[in-house]
Amino acid sequence: MPKQILSFTVNGDKVDLLVPPYVTLLDALRDEAGLTGPKEGCGTGDCGACTVHLDGKPVASCLVLALQARGRSVRTIEGLGTATALHPLQDAFVRHGVPQCGFCIPGVLMAAAALLEEHAAPTEEQIRYGIAGNLCRCTGYTKMVAAITEAAGMIKKGAAR
Amino acid sequence: MSVMKTTRDVKGVGLSIPRPDGPDKVTGKVQYVADITPRGLLHAKLLRSPHAHAKIVRIDVSKARALPGVRAVLTAADIPELKGKPASRAHAVLAIDRVVFAGQPVAAVAADEVAIAEEALDLIDVQYEVLPASVDPLQAMKPGAPPVAELGTEADLSEAMAHSAVAMAKGETPTKAVNVSQTAHVKRGDVAKGFAESDVVLEHTYRVPMVHQGYIEPHAVLAEWDRSGNLTLWASTQGSFNTRSEVADVLGLEENRIKVIPVECGGGFGGKIRALCEPITAILARVTARPVRYVMTRREELEAGMPAPQVIIRLKTGVKKDGTLMALEGETVLESGAFSGTVLAVSAVFLGSLYKWPAFDIKGSEVLTHKPSVAAYRAPVAPQSIFAIDSQMDALARALNIDPVAFRARHLSKPGDPMANNQPWASMGAPEVLQKAGAHRVWKEREAWKKGAKPGTLRGVGLSLGGWLGGLQPTGASVKLNPDGTLSVLTGQVDIAGTNIALAQIAATAYGVDIDKVKITTGDTDVAPVTGLSAGSKTVYTVGVAVLQAAQAARKQTFEIAAAELEAAVDDLELVDGKIVVRGVPGKGVTLQSIGKKGNLYMSKVEPVIASSHPAFSQQAPAFASQIARIELDPDTGEVTLKDFVIVQDVGKAINPLAVEGQMQGGAVQSLGMALTEGLVYDDQGRLTNPSLLDYRKLTAADLPNLETVIVEVPSPAGPFGARGVGEPPIIPAPAAIANAIADATGVRLTEAPLTPERIALALARRGAG
Repeated sequence: MPKQILSFTVNGDKVDLLVPPYVTLLDALRDEAGLTGPKEGCGTGDCGACTVHLDGKPVASCLVLALQARGRSVRTIEGLGTATALHPLQDAFVRHGVPQCGFCIPGVLMAAAALLEEHAAPTEEQIRYGIAGNLCRCTGYTKMVAAITEAAGMIKKGAAR
Repeated sequence: MSVMKTTRDVKGVGLSIPRPDGPDKVTGKVQYVADITPRGLLHAKLLRSPHAHAKIVRIDVSKARALPGVRAVLTAADIPELKGKPASRAHAVLAIDRVVFAGQPVAAVAADEVAIAEEALDLIDVQYEVLPASVDPLQAMKPGAPPVAELGTEADLSEAMAHSAVAMAKGETPTKAVNVSQTAHVKRGDVAKGFAESDVVLEHTYRVPMVHQGYIEPHAVLAEWDRSGNLTLWASTQGSFNTRSEVADVLGLEENRIKVIPVECGGGFGGKIRALCEPITAILARVTARPVRYVMTRREELEAGMPAPQVIIRLKTGVKKDGTLMALEGETVLESGAFSGTVLAVSAVFLGSLYKWPAFDIKGSEVLTHKPSVAAYRAPVAPQSIFAIDSQMDALARALNIDPVAFRARHLSKPGDPMANNQPWASMGAPEVLQKAGAHRVWKEREAWKKGAKPGTLRGVGLSLGGWLGGLQPTGASVKLNPDGTLSVLTGQVDIAGTNIALAQIAATAYGVDIDKVKITTGDTDVAPVTGLSAGSKTVYTVGVAVLQAAQAARKQTFEIAAAELEAAVDDLELVDGKIVVRGVPGKGVTLQSIGKKGNLYMSKVEPVIASSHPAFSQQAPAFASQIARIELDPDTGEVTLKDFVIVQDVGKAINPLAVEGQMQGGAVQSLGMALTEGLVYDDQGRLTNPSLLDYRKLTAADLPNLETVIVEVPSPAGPFGARGVGEPPIIPAPAAIANAIADATGVRLTEAPLTPERIALALARRGAG
């Protein structure tokens, strides 16, 4: 199948890629755009390790065809913080000692960031359901929930300032 | 172990310090094998058998080889190293003339793109003659069952060696039944007499199915050869030196021709110890003279990974009315899949050793079936064995109307008591853990909490106690002083759980500098001192000792250099704030920076400070955990909701409490998964019916409450600063804790994991009908 041009915005930058029509958004990001932060844990949308934002909404990028992202905006873990500063969620994850093996973490953080954009002060239940699509085998989720709760508070405080 | 006193409290052991690679892990910067793409990379795919047991009549790869973009298509006939019966799963690189489990690799492809490799698999034509399969382990033991191994069944004990050196009487019966690859037997006292004199005899058969370790990163490896015949493997492994040895053995290569680079490992839990896809990837790279990467799919992981064995344990126990233990009879069947390799002895030891049975008779068998062969899974066979013995203790306490904690405490073995194999229990904190759990509010206030149940729901509280003997393995570490006074620590230890920060903390405290002056590196097999597996709850327990000794030796070297320079005795010196001073003479001193610098100065006569240690070990450090579960149960649907969960664990000494808590919580959720939802389900042809994470149900954040951790510290005699292994104990108690909670809520004893709503509702309906 001939390759097609995929023009879209990735982490704020305009990007043009040449991709076969059958590749997923995950593969296009990883193999063509060089963004290996999103991970493939299952390839069937069950584990959440590939979670990115598509026009601000969290999606399993292994279930989205790359060409469906034409003209749209994608944000990956590489675009969550800045080159010099961690996003409050990332910072809280580090301080709470959340990452162990770390493989699920990019997906969990993108799910959590989407949650906080929808609910600035989520309840524990909202957090737990917000990351329920992300499987983690190392942490037992307790420290994740604590870190997300704290990051929500930090973001709110920052916004109030 | 004597620990050299530091001259002041440095920031090191005992502090909750986040791991230094945290920022790289939260930004997606950390690279795993699948993220590494060298120029000229080819992608590997394996064609796998759809049948559990079949003869391979013919393989035609001609169409696949003709596909543009395909660089190699291999069958066993193309690989000279493959001949005869494979000695282990790692040696079964590609099936030769027979497949023995569904998912066994039959042919391998390397191609320019993954999609081309997948297309090539579709073009390979394999003609099978399907044979009857042994699927159920109890049937597989019977005469006439389809045999799994062609030429007899030799026991593979390497897993048992790696995990826990349990000296064990082997089974006496020389005449093995078909498909029985290992037997074990421990016995003490007169069991028949014990039962005859018992007031209450309970018999239950406990079952835990095969479960998958569930690491989120599937197996992955990248292989490349140089023109001189040296192989480099970038591997997702729990032990780079073990990977090197296994690959060398399969390929017939000298070990120093293989460099294993342990890339960040996205979870292992025992499933990434033994070689699996490394040999075939190396062979494809050799044939194509290109770098080749192989990443398993999740379906392949579930169908053809190396899961935990199915464990079936029949227990018969007799007690007096006053709670006196009389006799225990046990029969354990471990389903090992197509190759031998379970830690059979551990099960028997836990069944017979945890409580003080005056008479016991425990027989164990490892049985081969036409399923993927098994491997370790975090405290291999311990959760299943504790599910049986702890459920049984709980059932006995309830039958006798004795407090379950008091009943366990009365009969619990203590250090020095004989284990089932007649070795004495080493120093361990089981009694302290049980005492602490029994005093916890969630346990103490259980009756009051149960009264708060909403109409139509039942509440129950369950507690259980389990442990792990602790693994051992020789290992090495080096510590050097840099020219600016900082320290560099080198091991080959694969850091999955955050062990490197703990090792750095040990180095900081032992040498006498703050943790921010210490950097630790995991080296590849060419540069690192030989280092053991990240497994068996022994990383900090053993590598920690190597680091501790190396740091102490580096400190000694440093002090000797300072003593010469200051013209003072070593004993009169102390290290304060990065400066070695003469005690009581504050002005007189020499900085670590100056000593480090002189060790690396042109024409200098001062030796550089470089110390190494490479200990071997003989003393295990058993570690115990107790877990308490508060559940709500809907008697109509059988649904269990976990309301509160407490983990009480003896860690000896928490080197890094933050990392310790993470281990306790993560292990507990794997334990809860085994209790509530997980299980590989096979049809009667030996095919997996739930090969996806939609159908193989792991627990999510929404299934769980916050998990409370209570750290108990009963120092081990030989561990660094008294530390014990931390990783394995928390995966052990939950299946029993949940079963005990269900019994508390409903009066019904469930003995088959996972304890699904279906099983619970059926059990309640049966009781209603009966």
